[in-house]
Amino acid sequence: MGVPVFRWKAVGPLVLCGALGALTWWLFADRIARRTVETVGTAVIGARVEVRDLALSLRRGSVTVRGLTVASPFRPLENLLQADELVADIDALPLLEKKVAIDRLAAKGLRFRTPRRADGRVGGGSSPLIQQVRQWAGQLQVPALQLATGKITVGQLDPMQLSAPRAAVALAAQADSARRAWSAALQGLDVSATVDSAKRMAERLRGAKPTDLKLLGDARRTLDRVKQTRDRFTGLERSVRDGVATLREGVAGLNEARQRDYAFARGLLKLPALEAPEIGAALFGAAAIERFQSALYWAELARQYIPPGLLPRATPGPKRARRAGTTVRFPRERAYPAFLLRTGELSFQLPGGAAPRTYAARLSGLTSDPALYGRPTTFEASAPGLSAGAMIDHVRSTPHDTAAASLAGIALPGFALPALPVRLEPGQGTVALSFALTGDSVRARWSVTADRVRWARDTAAAAGNRLHDLVWRVVSGIPSLDVSASLGGTLARPRLSVNSNLDRALAARIRAVAGEEIAAAERKVRAQVDSLVERQAAVVRAQVDTLTSDLAQRLGVERTQLDEVQRALEQRLKQLTRLPGVRLP
Amino acid sequence: MLVLKLIQSLIATLHSEGTPGQVAAGIALGSILGLTPLMNLHNAVVFALIVILNVSFPGAMLGWALFVPVGFALDPAFDWIGRRLLLETPGLVPLWTGLANMPVVPLTGFNNTVVLGSLAFALAFWLPLFLTTRWGVARYRTTVADRMRRSRLYQAVTASKVYNLYRLFWPET
Repeated sequence: MGVPVFRWKAVGPLVLCGALGALTWWLFADRIARRTVETVGTAVIGARVEVRDLALSLRRGSVTVRGLTVASPFRPLENLLQADELVADIDALPLLEKKVAIDRLAAKGLRFRTPRRADGRVGGGSSPLIQQVRQWAGQLQVPALQLATGKITVGQLDPMQLSAPRAAVALAAQADSARRAWSAALQGLDVSATVDSAKRMAERLRGAKPTDLKLLGDARRTLDRVKQTRDRFTGLERSVRDGVATLREGVAGLNEARQRDYAFARGLLKLPALEAPEIGAALFGAAAIERFQSALYWAELARQYIPPGLLPRATPGPKRARRAGTTVRFPRERAYPAFLLRTGELSFQLPGGAAPRTYAARLSGLTSDPALYGRPTTFEASAPGLSAGAMIDHVRSTPHDTAAASLAGIALPGFALPALPVRLEPGQGTVALSFALTGDSVRARWSVTADRVRWARDTAAAAGNRLHDLVWRVVSGIPSLDVSASLGGTLARPRLSVNSNLDRALAARIRAVAGEEIAAAERKVRAQVDSLVERQAAVVRAQVDTLTSDLAQRLGVERTQLDEVQRALEQRLKQLTRLPGVRLP
Repeated sequence: MLVLKLIQSLIATLHSEGTPGQVAAGIALGSILGLTPLMNLHNAVVFALIVILNVSFPGAMLGWALFVPVGFALDPAFDWIGRRLLLETPGLVPLWTGLANMPVVPLTGFNNTVVLGSLAFALAFWLPLFLTTRWGVARYRTTVADRMRRSRLYQAVTASKVYNLYRLFWPET
C-alpha cells in the first residue's frame, strides 16, 4: 500500500489556523494599519508621525485617522501639523496589489506649527536629505552684522601683499637694464672716434688743393661715415625716447598701484556693515534662508517619492531581523500607481487676531507615479486674506515644482535681530512665499510686511555699547516692517538678495555717526600704505629721472659734435669744389 | 537548551515511522521557511503545503530550525541574487512588471532583493536537498539506527516530553 499524498485530517486544523489568522487580523488590523501609517509616514517625512486612533473598515472602504501629529523635520520641539480627523474613502481592489488608492480624503482641524514636548526629528534632524538641504543652504553666505563691539580696527599690513612696492622694484630693474643697453649701444656707435676722424680730415682739407683728388675722395668717404653714424645715432635717440616714455608710464603706473593698495588696505579695516543690502542680508538673511531651505526640503522630498517616468525604482527594503535588501517597484502603464489620492478636502486653522481662523483647501492628484496618473499634483486654498497654491508636475522628465502662498492679517512670529540685543514683534501682517524649482533652476521670494511693529530691547546686553544704542534709537523709531528676500540661480550656484526698510535707515544713521571714525581709520591705513610704498617709489622715480637727464645730456653733446664735424667737412668740400672745372660726383 | 531540542528533534525524526521520502520532503519544505524571510505570503503557502501534504511535520520544523541560521548567513548572497534578477536582468523586467501589477502576488514581497534571492535559492536547492536527505535517512536507518535505538542517548530522548509532543504530529504511513 502506497503512502497517501495528502494528510486530509490536517485540513481541519489548517482551516482553523486560517480562521484564527482572520480573527487576529480583524482584532488587530486597526493597530497594524496605525503602526504602518506611523512607520511609513515617519520614513517619508523624516520626522515622527503619530496617530492616536485609526479605524479601518474594508467593508465600507474607509479609513478614519484621529489625532494625527506630524513632527517638524527641522524644529525639535515643534509639530509640522496636527489634524483632529482624517477620513479617507479607499478603493479596496488596489490593496490586493499592495497599492493604496484614495478617492477622497477629508481632513478636519488641521493646525500648523504647534508645540510638542519631545524632539520628533528622525536621527536628531540629521537625515541624509536634511543634511543635503543644509549643505545647500551653507552656500548662501549671509554677512555677519559686525556691530557687536562697535569698534573700528586696523589690521596689520603685509608689504608683500601690496602691489606698488612690487611694481617699483620691477621698474627699477627695467630702468637699470635700459640704462645698460643704451650705454652699450652708444659705445657701439663710437661717436667720438668718428668725430675725431672727421676733425682730422677737416684739418687736412685746410691746406688741400682742388686738384688733390685722392684727398677729396678720402674726405667724401669720411663725410659718408659721419652721415651713417648720425643716422644710427638718430635711431638710437628714437629708441631712447620710446624707452624713457615707457619708464615714465611705469612711474605713473606706480600711482595707480598705490590706489589699488589703498583699496586693499581699506578692506583690512574691520568696519561695521554700512551698505544697505548687507544690513538687510545680515538682519533677515538667516530667516529667509530658513524658509527657502524648508521649501527646498519639501520639493526634494517630492522628487524622491514622486519621481518622473516609469522605470523600475529601487528603495531600501523593510526593516526586519534579516537583511532589508532593496525593494524594487515596477510601475506599468494603465495600472494603479502605488499611491494615489484623487481628491483631498482640507480644513485648517491659522492664528489671526483674537481667535484662530479656519480656512479650506483642496488637494488633488497626489500620487507616487505621476507618469501613470498623467496629471500634476495641485493644491489650492483661497479665502479672505489667504491665497495659496502649489503644483508638483513630475509628469514629464524635467520635474517642475512651484508653490506660492500669501497670508494677510495673521499674527507673525517675533524674532531677535542677529548680533543685536533687539527683538522684533511684527504683530499682524502679511507674509508671502513663492518657490519654483524647475530641473536644477530655483527661483523663490519671501516677503513680510507689517504696519504696526513693536521693538523690544535687551537692556543688559546693550549696556555701554554705542552702536547698539544707535541701532536701538534708529529701529525703535520705525513703525513698519517691509522685508523682501529673493533667491535665484541654480541649486549648485544659488544667489540670495535681501532688502528691507530697515536697511537704508540703519545704513544712513550708522554712516553719519561712524563716518568720522571711519575716515580717520582710512587716513591711517593710507599713511601705512604710503610709508611702505613711497620709499621704493621715490628711489625708482629718482633713478628714472637721473637716467633721463644723463641720457639727454650725453646724447645732446654727441649730436652737437656730429653736427659740427659734418657741417665743417661739407663746408670745406664745398669750397674746394667751387673751383671751375672741378665737380664733385 | 536549543541545541538539545534540535538533537531530540533530529533523532526523533530519523527514527519516526515516516518513510525517508516523507522526512526528506518535510526537511526540504521546512528549509524554505528557514532560508527566506518568514513574514511573507509565500511562506503561508509553504506552511499550508507542509500541513496538507503527507510529509514529516517534525522534519519540516527541523528543516526550518536548521536553515534559519543558514538564511541569516547567506543574506548577502541572497541580496546579490535578487539584485541580479530584479535590477540587472533587463529581460526579466516585463515578468516582474506583470507580477507586480497582479492581484495578491505583490503581497509576497517578491520585489525585494533578499526575498526573491532567497526564494530562488531555496527553490533551486529544494530538489538536491530532498534527494540527499532521502538517501541519508535511508542509509542511516539501515546502518546506524539499530545501534542508536539501543543507546542511552536515544532512551533519554524518547523518554522526554518533547518526544511525546512530537508523536502527536508524526506522519501517517
